[in-house]
Amino acid sequence: MTSPVASECAEILGGISAYLDGELDRTACDAIERHCQTCPSCEAVVQGLRDTIGLCRGAAVLPIPDSVRKKALDSISALLKTRPA
Amino acid sequence: MTVTDTDSVHLSPSDAARAEYASMVRAAAAGDQVAMERLLMRAQEVAYRFSLLVCGHPEDAEDVMQDALLNTYRHVSQIKAPEAFRTWLYQTVRNACLMKRRRRVDEPSHMTSIEQGGTDVDGDASSLDLPDAGRPADLQLIDAWKSERLRKALAMLQPGYRVIVVLREMEGLSTREVATITGLSEANVKQRLHRARLMLRESLKDV
Repeated sequence: MTSPVASECAEILGGISAYLDGELDRTACDAIERHCQTCPSCEAVVQGLRDTIGLCRGAAVLPIPDSVRKKALDSISALLKTRPA
Repeated sequence: MTVTDTDSVHLSPSDAARAEYASMVRAAAAGDQVAMERLLMRAQEVAYRFSLLVCGHPEDAEDVMQDALLNTYRHVSQIKAPEAFRTWLYQTVRNACLMKRRRRVDEPSHMTSIEQGGTDVDGDASSLDLPDAGRPADLQLIDAWKSERLRKALAMLQPGYRVIVVLREMEGLSTREVATITGLSEANVKQRLHRARLMLRESLKDV
């Protein structure tokens, strides 16, 4: 049988992404924050997901290799030449 | 509706990006060559980045980029809903990636070539990060290590999860836009994103 604590954790974990994306109302946010104050494992998941999201969003834009960029510019230039003024 | 600087202050980043694309599309469709050039430049960047992150093959990314340029050029003159251009572009690029993947009959179920692809055929860097000359060398090394770990973690995700992470977290599209592009419901996009984040967290625990 699932313990009440584990059940509460499961509920919290299911809503963490919505919480981190700012989609929950104040009451739901408070419930997660209160739970995390007394549950180190859920707090670790929240922090871990927050870090992961930050890492993804902070990943700098992929540079296009110069050789590929040159081909693209050549294609753009050719397309624009075919365009009626 | 005309989008002004004042309006854009109140827009979400996703809405602002969509409005910027729409503005370029309207100008390009009206014959503005500079707008068309900017639009094509943006299309090639989106196509290359998306294709490399999601499919992982630099040679495919180049083909997808060329297709995106031609399709964008043709599409702009016929477009009826400039606001929908951004999702149309990602849909077009995603479909081109799927076609490429189908042609690779010996493709493993989840591709590893993103992690293999540190350099392209010409030896140019094709990593997630650009060296930032303003950052101290030790921090640049840490950034590069983190980017490498992220690239490997992304490559470990199944394509159906990877595409959601790339579109939502890296390209900054809204849940609704991702749902339109992938053909999934918004609830399904959110569910997949949550699972993908948990999987990434597991892979990136020590980062």
